[in-house]
Amino acid sequence: MMLFGKTLDQQLPHRPQKVTYCTKCVVSNQRPRIAFDENGVCSACNYASEKYKFIDWNEREQELLALLDRYRSKDGSYDCVVPGSGGKDSGFTAHLLKYKYGMHPLTVTWAPFLYTDIGWKNYLNFKDKGGFDNILCFPNGAIHRKLSRLAFELHGDAWDPFQYGQKNYAYHMALKFNIPLIFYGESGEVEYGGSTKNIHKPFESPEDYKHLYWKGSGMDELVEQGLECGMFTKEEMQNNPLELYRIPKLEDMQRLNPEMHWLSYYVKWIPQENYYYAAEHCGFEANAERSEGTYSKYASLDDKTDGFHFYLAYIKFGIARATSDAAHEVRDGHITREEAIALVKRYDGEFPQKYFKDFLEYLSITEEEFWEVIDFYRELSPHLWRKVDGKWKIRHTIWGGGVDD
Amino acid sequence: MHNVRLIARLDIKGPNLIKGVHLEGLRVIGSPQEYATKYYQMGADELIYLDTVASLYGRNNLHEIVKSAASNIFIPLTVGGGIRTIDDITSLLRVGADKIAINTFATKQPSLLQEAAQRFGSQCIVLSIAAKKIHPGKWIALTDNGRENSGMDVLEWAHQGWKLGAGEILLTSVDQEGTASGFDCDLVNAVASTLPIPVIASGGMGTIDHLEAVIKCGKADAVALAHVLHYNKFTISDIKHEMIARGINMRSDGK
Repeated sequence: MMLFGKTLDQQLPHRPQKVTYCTKCVVSNQRPRIAFDENGVCSACNYASEKYKFIDWNEREQELLALLDRYRSKDGSYDCVVPGSGGKDSGFTAHLLKYKYGMHPLTVTWAPFLYTDIGWKNYLNFKDKGGFDNILCFPNGAIHRKLSRLAFELHGDAWDPFQYGQKNYAYHMALKFNIPLIFYGESGEVEYGGSTKNIHKPFESPEDYKHLYWKGSGMDELVEQGLECGMFTKEEMQNNPLELYRIPKLEDMQRLNPEMHWLSYYVKWIPQENYYYAAEHCGFEANAERSEGTYSKYASLDDKTDGFHFYLAYIKFGIARATSDAAHEVRDGHITREEAIALVKRYDGEFPQKYFKDFLEYLSITEEEFWEVIDFYRELSPHLWRKVDGKWKIRHTIWGGGVDD
Repeated sequence: MHNVRLIARLDIKGPNLIKGVHLEGLRVIGSPQEYATKYYQMGADELIYLDTVASLYGRNNLHEIVKSAASNIFIPLTVGGGIRTIDDITSLLRVGADKIAINTFATKQPSLLQEAAQRFGSQCIVLSIAAKKIHPGKWIALTDNGRENSGMDVLEWAHQGWKLGAGEILLTSVDQEGTASGFDCDLVNAVASTLPIPVIASGGMGTIDHLEAVIKCGKADAVALAHVLHYNKFTISDIKHEMIARGINMRSDGK
């Protein structure tokens, strides 16, 4: 049974009631924070035009060199933290900084919920073939699972606790090792569609996180609800067990004042090229077969639960993993919009059956409870879903196959 | 010893020649016609055109590309990608293809191989298999440009394909493809040494030693090259010259 029967996801009321699609790629106006211009073109496509036509990447590289010169250590001590899974994008980022620009990165990895075999292999290859010092952090699994269970119901996305650490853990390591520079790969909001707030900036502020990434809610809300329903005990929450999920305390931050930057501001970010780079330099391998819900086999591979993050997006926003993959491939000129639509038609919203059992076990929920949450979010989305003969049907798709297209 | 054939493999997507790594991350290389003509002039023994995403997108659009190739390229052309029916085969043969390669649809309806071989002759039907290693000595066949798992064992499937009438096997190692780190010689040998029909080894060429190994140890009858040609690491004439020096027979009367 659902524990709460409510959602804390503050993005949902902001979804436009009429579904429209970008005229250049395949993303819809349901994607949180995405903006469309007067020609019906999404903010990510507009950024892509800038990226390919207008941004002077030589100039940006000069900016990067100036930044790195300010921070590069002379004695071999760590001078930047590179957070990442060891996949193609963080492989590219860490390798470029170390071997092209002569930095001394400490790479830090916030572990996925449940490693896939290929994810673990790529992680090992990243440090062993790429050649990096790495710290791998598994947070307290018992607490992590409960947070994930709470997030699944209250945010409609079990993935959130991963994201808290993915963002904040790097700051803790920066403070611990006195490393004042943090390098992330890309700004997802800018590259893949979202807020344009930081489009011409190399960094963002942790104050933006709650709004940009955490659905207007966050871990404190989850913990509060968890305590209320008895999932967490008071004892369990004593002695600050969630420190690594949170941005460090202000006074500690002010002592070092670590700067975070996105490499994607300085270097033209093309995931497919990162794949080539990581395959050559970090031993990165694509998966044996495509991931469920999409056609690609090189992205978001390391966590058995990833498919459900995308599946919940399908339920809440009517667009899923294939839409996201195809949209950025259109922007990068790898495929045409027609190809993208064919791929969306074939794969978007496919249920991630392969790891369904693992996911249920991880959250300690039954199949019935899973579907109860899914249906709860469908009922909150009557502009996207309609019951036809007792079965939920999507109302609109880009290829015109929805029941109300 | 027969001449070992060197085949230039052209993976096509839409209007472009493309290339991936492990059949993923498909990079646009250039115009298929330009590269095909170059490889023909360099002395390739055959060309293979594969519309790599035809099955993935549910379409087939190589006709124009094959038609223009056939008008000025006079070596055997094997064409594949999205072949589902006898009519698909007929129309590609009509515009100038010499052989037809079938992968995805044959795994779903193996009888297509039989019908096609009876109708057009085995010499014209190539079974294309994309093999993914799951443990030593065991490979599974992937379809849809290496994206779907057919669940079929490669050695059994190759055997069945031969029985049904395929005249040749195009055997791609998905693990090695695009990596330039050497062929999967065990895979090639496992198929080539047990079947009486020719096997084209594809996937992994990076050095001349790799090529020698797949011919001598793998028993490949022909080798398909893409990465090393597209990225100008070798020319076909250089490769042939070196292979002949190493005692491997190749057609060298070309340019």
